[in-house]
Amino acid sequence: MKPARPLLLLALLLAPARPGRAETAVEGTVALPKSPAAPVMVKRYEIVAKAGVLSTYPPVAVVYLEGEFPKAASLPVEQVAQQNFAFVPALLAIRAGTRVEFPNRDDTYHNIFSYSPAKRFDLGRYRPDERPIPSVLFDTPGLVVLRCDIHEHMRGLILVLDTPYWVVTGTDGRYRLSGLPPGHHTLKVWLDSHTTLSRTVDLAPDTTLRADFP
Amino acid sequence: MTAPVQPPPAGVARFRTRLLLAMMLVVSAATALSLFFAQRHVAAAAQRSLNQEFQDALASLHAVQAVRDAVLAERCRTLARRPRIHAALEDNALDLLYPSSEDELSDVREGAAGPAGERETYALRARFYRFLDRRGAVLSPPDPAREGALAPAEEAALALPGAPGRPQTGYLARSAGGAEPVDEVIAMPIVSTETGEVIAALVLGFKPLELAGAPTDAALRSGVWLDGRLHLPALGAPARAAVAARIARALAAGGPGEASFPIDVEGTPSLLFCLRLNPGSLYPPAYQVSIYPLTAAVARQRRLTWQFLAAGGLLLLGAFAASELLAVRLSAPVEQLAVKSEADRVGRRQAEAALELTSEELQRSARFSADASHQLKTPVTVLRAGLEELLASEILPPETREELAALVHQTFRLTSVIEDLLLLSRMDAGRLQIDFRRVDLTPLVEAWLDDWGALPDGRDLAVETDIPPALVVSGEARYLTLILQNLLENARKYSRTGGRVRIAAWAEGPWAILRIANNGDPIPPAAQAHIFERFHRGPVGENVPGHGLGLNLARELARLHRGDLRLARSDEAWTEFEVRFRLADPAPAAAPEVR
Repeated sequence: MKPARPLLLLALLLAPARPGRAETAVEGTVALPKSPAAPVMVKRYEIVAKAGVLSTYPPVAVVYLEGEFPKAASLPVEQVAQQNFAFVPALLAIRAGTRVEFPNRDDTYHNIFSYSPAKRFDLGRYRPDERPIPSVLFDTPGLVVLRCDIHEHMRGLILVLDTPYWVVTGTDGRYRLSGLPPGHHTLKVWLDSHTTLSRTVDLAPDTTLRADFP
Repeated sequence: MTAPVQPPPAGVARFRTRLLLAMMLVVSAATALSLFFAQRHVAAAAQRSLNQEFQDALASLHAVQAVRDAVLAERCRTLARRPRIHAALEDNALDLLYPSSEDELSDVREGAAGPAGERETYALRARFYRFLDRRGAVLSPPDPAREGALAPAEEAALALPGAPGRPQTGYLARSAGGAEPVDEVIAMPIVSTETGEVIAALVLGFKPLELAGAPTDAALRSGVWLDGRLHLPALGAPARAAVAARIARALAAGGPGEASFPIDVEGTPSLLFCLRLNPGSLYPPAYQVSIYPLTAAVARQRRLTWQFLAAGGLLLLGAFAASELLAVRLSAPVEQLAVKSEADRVGRRQAEAALELTSEELQRSARFSADASHQLKTPVTVLRAGLEELLASEILPPETREELAALVHQTFRLTSVIEDLLLLSRMDAGRLQIDFRRVDLTPLVEAWLDDWGALPDGRDLAVETDIPPALVVSGEARYLTLILQNLLENARKYSRTGGRVRIAAWAEGPWAILRIANNGDPIPPAAQAHIFERFHRGPVGENVPGHGLGLNLARELARLHRGDLRLARSDEAWTEFEVRFRLADPAPAAAPEVR
């Protein structure tokens, strides 16, 4: 299980390096909401709520392909850390069935819980030296809002997807989703907790389809 | 003149009665007015103090409510910040709302914690609580027993048109039991920490705070008027309905704020105050109603009225007595005045009559003198002219002519008397005006002495004079001459042969004093008082010429000159007259010449 992750990362890293090689992919631009005076230096996303709608700041989207895909035998364990009183990363997309660890990297207690319908859990209070690292298996697709019972401002999002194909766009809205199975699918874009765009795509083998949203 | 003390005339008695009546009227009016105002003031003060009491009690109630609301608001703010509550509300996990809030609200809920005794009194213990969602609808708890059971209608009454922006106070009539208790309800907004929006509300139900009634008035009954119904367990149902209807009318008439009016509750006159408990609330208006039985107040008022009446009566009696006294005192001078003026009038009338008489007599006599003088003057002149004519004729024998000469001399005397009478009559009639001028007495005396020397007289008188070179007096020369003439003539006449006449004059203060003395027979003391009367002559001289008018005339004239004439002495040595006149230039403060 462990060695699989670096390999996957390697594969992902290598993929853009071989543009000549034909593969089934979809790419395009998602029109993201304008973020006024986007701080360039922000490297991680924060979750902001506006009128009860949660989104990342600066805005990014998650593009994913929906369809009937075979179950994975095993899925890598992901991590959402609590660091400097924030969830890192603030937005995590995972395939359903993934276990996510919540390491505490602050020198204080955190109490991660979620009341989201997709996954309700409460990890209780724990310190950084808690072992094993408290983890939760997310087996139902949906959006899970992470909160800390001690630090009311902390928000994290885990987008649990029923697909192995997804990608997080850049802050410019551009994305490329490759290694897809050819055929008739639904391409979806998660923009915020209330907004998911979708369109159908016909993926031809070894071709890159261009799909812009909206 | 002194009138006897008479009973006051009818006018004065009437005056006194009227005065007394007016004063009594004024006193009665003043007493009645002051009584009226005093009683009204007392009644108003009693009502005001009751009202004040009620307002104070209500104010303290509101103050306690405000404190509790502030505590609850703070608790709600804390609650609203609790991530679990937020998560339940925001993450569509309402089923977890009540379970999540149980811990948070455990110290608010009645019976959840704390000793039993504390529960009853502790104003922050809620009997129940419910959440309202964003639209103001009630979120029913999954297990109402834990949050405090409510009937469906009661729970529905908690709903609001939307989650309120500010705490709202309401009152909820509980149907449980026959007592119809009222619970106080506070809806506290729950504000999202993310958006600042009101995302829900927490509604807490309390046992209402007791109105801190005046401890002195145990009979005070207080309750809550809500939705046309009066929740006042101390009152019977029919009375309750009647009072509730009356309150509804008063509130409809007098605006929504407050009302206070006297009312008969179950046959007891009472004062009812009601004031809105939840002004400005989205919940239906509820009013704190307090009923003060006025039995004690009425009794007190009645007692006070009697006291006032008694005091007023006493006051009135005293005032009447004072009025009577005052009227007597005030009318006494008037009576005296009346009596006196009556006496005065009589006296004056008498005096006037007497005066008139005297004046008439005087006038008559003066006129008579004047008439007589004038009537006499002419025949005397005619007589003298005839005699002189006879005298001038050569036909008469010398002895007859001598007699005729004596007769002519008599006519001169007669003329002199007539002139004196004329002068006197003018003086008596007040018609003689002195024309005051500066007159030097010295030349007058000297001129007379010169004439005197020329008189054919065998008396051989020695005349001594001591007269300043000038003695200027204020007067009229002809009358001054007449005075001097009379005096000097007298001195000469009454001197014994070979006697002396002494004339001295000097200035003394404002006076010029002239003394003329002769030595002759003294005037008897009995006669001295009468020498200045008219037609008085000394007993000495039937042989002495004179007609008894000289001294009188001289004195009258001297007095007309604002001076005087008196007999200075009359004894064997000297008979001396002193006449004084006003100096024309009185020596200013100079030491008078002492003689």
